[in-house]
Amino acid sequence: MPAALVLLAVGFLAILPIGRLMATALFVDGTFDASLLLNRLVRGATQRAIFNTLDTSLFGALLALMLGGPFALLIAATDMPLRKLQGFLLILPLMIAPQVMALAFMHLLGPSSALLGALGLAPPPGTANPLLGRGGIILLFGIQHAPIVFITLRAGLVSIPRDYVEAARAAGMGPARVLRGIVLPLLGPYVIAAAALAFVSGVGNFGIPALLGMPENYLTLATLIYQQLSSNGPTVLPQVAGLSLLICAIAILGIGAQGLALRRRQFALTRGMPMQFALGRWRWPAAMAGMLALSVALLLPAAALITTSLVPAYGVALSTATVTLDNYAEVLLRQASTMRAFVNSSYLSLLAAAILALLAVPLALGMARLPRTFARLAHGVLELPYALPGIVLAIACILLFLRPLPLLGSLYATPWIILIAYLMRFAALALKPVEAALGQLPPDLTEAAAASGAGAIRRLLTITAPLVAPAAAAGALLVFMSAFNELTVSALLWSSRNETIGVILFSLEESGLSPQAAAVAVITLVVIMVLLALLDRLSGRLPTGVLPWR
Amino acid sequence: MRILLAAGLMLASALTPAFAQEGKLVLYTSQPNTDAQQTADAFMAKYPGITVEWVRDGTPKIMAKFRAELEAGAPLADVLLIADVVTMEGLKAEGLLLNYPEADTTGFDASLFDEDGAYFSTKLITTGIVYNTAATMVPASWLDLTKPEAKGQIAMPSPLTSGAALIHTVTLTDNLAEGWDFYSALAANGAQASGGNGDVLTAVAGGEKLYGMIVDYLPIREAAKGAPVAFVFPTEGVSAVTEPAAILASAHNPDNAKLFIDFLLSEEGQQLASSQGYVPARDGIALPAGYPDRAEIKVLPYNAAAALANETANKEQFGEIFGQ
Repeated sequence: MPAALVLLAVGFLAILPIGRLMATALFVDGTFDASLLLNRLVRGATQRAIFNTLDTSLFGALLALMLGGPFALLIAATDMPLRKLQGFLLILPLMIAPQVMALAFMHLLGPSSALLGALGLAPPPGTANPLLGRGGIILLFGIQHAPIVFITLRAGLVSIPRDYVEAARAAGMGPARVLRGIVLPLLGPYVIAAAALAFVSGVGNFGIPALLGMPENYLTLATLIYQQLSSNGPTVLPQVAGLSLLICAIAILGIGAQGLALRRRQFALTRGMPMQFALGRWRWPAAMAGMLALSVALLLPAAALITTSLVPAYGVALSTATVTLDNYAEVLLRQASTMRAFVNSSYLSLLAAAILALLAVPLALGMARLPRTFARLAHGVLELPYALPGIVLAIACILLFLRPLPLLGSLYATPWIILIAYLMRFAALALKPVEAALGQLPPDLTEAAAASGAGAIRRLLTITAPLVAPAAAAGALLVFMSAFNELTVSALLWSSRNETIGVILFSLEESGLSPQAAAVAVITLVVIMVLLALLDRLSGRLPTGVLPWR
Repeated sequence: MRILLAAGLMLASALTPAFAQEGKLVLYTSQPNTDAQQTADAFMAKYPGITVEWVRDGTPKIMAKFRAELEAGAPLADVLLIADVVTMEGLKAEGLLLNYPEADTTGFDASLFDEDGAYFSTKLITTGIVYNTAATMVPASWLDLTKPEAKGQIAMPSPLTSGAALIHTVTLTDNLAEGWDFYSALAANGAQASGGNGDVLTAVAGGEKLYGMIVDYLPIREAAKGAPVAFVFPTEGVSAVTEPAAILASAHNPDNAKLFIDFLLSEEGQQLASSQGYVPARDGIALPAGYPDRAEIKVLPYNAAAALANETANKEQFGEIFGQ
């Protein structure tokens, strides 16, 4: 029974979409034929996009390492003040939609930047926005994916026992030598894993290259697919299915590298007290430097976004004479499509979160009962739709649901196709906290209940479910936040009346209504901050490791 | 016979208000969000029983969406309000449009609507030159964009993203003596062709580029709000699209769709277009502030049939010149 449920979930949520994609890309009328894919590959535009994807993702990952690495070291392994706050702030870029981040930075650094203008630092008119094109994409990949590096490296750092460091210090090694001779070699696999994860996230990112690359015709694979499909419609599906398979392959290489690097980590070291360096008089300078870096990366662009949202037209300088709330009124009170998008995104995210939270408990229980290898395999497969680029999943969903299905009809052009894609994409996100909670549940409770004659379902409902409920709620909130903000999946799946916030933001920016786009972005930032605060309040009742900043 | 006809017409006009006047209307449009909402609001104010649901995207993208829905067997739109007549001609030839010959076209030039009533032009949108007011050169001719002062400073919409941009390209290459060489010179001068008209506005108003090719109403409207941009009607003339509206043969609410077309063409609807900053298609409606007299706007001719026939070839040629 649990095995059947796991199989069903894994089959529907992961194997079905990816299998469908491979079938379209590689088979013509039932026979294997890679010529469509190969024809695409030899085209100049495709090759440029492949190169751009690899180039930006690779350098983006290196930058993320350089940004996230020092923070991980300072926060996890020193006595620096304000560690908790900095850890929380550092996670934010992961929660903020990439397109919002890109918008904020563009408004910060262009010639019409209200902030730089006020300081007399704005570049002269006629200067291209320095963020457009390759450099800007790499910079924002670095910032957006630094949290991934931070989380991964911190996990590695806390697993290095204090004894190692103390033994080395006792043998007379200085802190720098300890770092170089002991900590870094032990950390090596985590560094590789972190870089690989950041690389995969870059390969799949759509929002950043869409806002920073497309205006300059600098295309990555994700934006090339979007452009092809949005100006040609489903006639080019077989070709773009091939392209998305290509993204898939690049992403799987990255995921494989990560898996390989961390293969035997859990068993390599014995657990003990995690190490901690004393910074001495460097405690406060380090904290200040960290806060400064975080405010440059987060506060300044947010401020730029807010100033843009307050001017009547893009390019107007912000002053007491020009400041207006009209953009907020327009998007919140007047524009049906934007209001609808807020409702749609809330509704779809809420549904996805609720369904996945309900599904996660029996699914996690089922996983726990499966043979170890099989469970791990099921896990890996279920994580694929989350790890793979969203645009790949979107194309798989169009292929699956464009043609009318018996009883259901065609799901394309309905909100349900977006909901299903969200379920596929975020299942892994919902499962993780529940599994962590189950793992920490003492077995005596259910054993006692079983001894007093409670059946399996009764035990589930009266004992297990209430105890893992907070973890399921945390998973649901994570799903909600991710879905509420996303653009990559819905960019291809939205239809009339089913637009999401990501889609609206992108469309407003494209039609030249930057101040209104900025207003929408500011509103989503507020929503996410409120939810994060909520999640933080919940943390006391959650198993450790659920909230990445705790 | 004439009396019968007159009686029939009277009967028809008496029946017109008896159209549904309730239910829904689904509009697919390439108008910017704000204008789409204002148009829907004005229509709903007039017919409180009808709810307008609209979807906006660039013309090629909105057409791709419509075709995807057609393929899925579930077309949703009742009315299309898009940039250009060429796309409409194509749809008409495929039998996808519903003829509405009874529409009241008083005050419209015969060239502004299809003789079978398949589509109706609603406004005149010209494409000229926008410049940032901080620029040193004030362009007057299209050829000024190929001057060294404009090197690396030009943004223009891509015909692959914008319907108006495709017609603009065809019109200029047909009418300028330089033909496609003009576009080669632009490319050599570092002009950047991508995205739609909105992207051009953002680039020029934001000061990232100093010059751009753009539809008239965006910069004229933003300049009125204080943005540092100005619009030029070049001496050679401008290209124009007419933002036609059409009812789809697959419309679920054809009666409401007819009311909507009537509204767009009515004096009230045309006044609204003018107040939004567009040149209205109907005679006798004042032009919005910021435009020269209508007689002074020199519109270059273009051949819609040839444009439709050569659409792919033109897109390819453009793509080749700009390396896309």
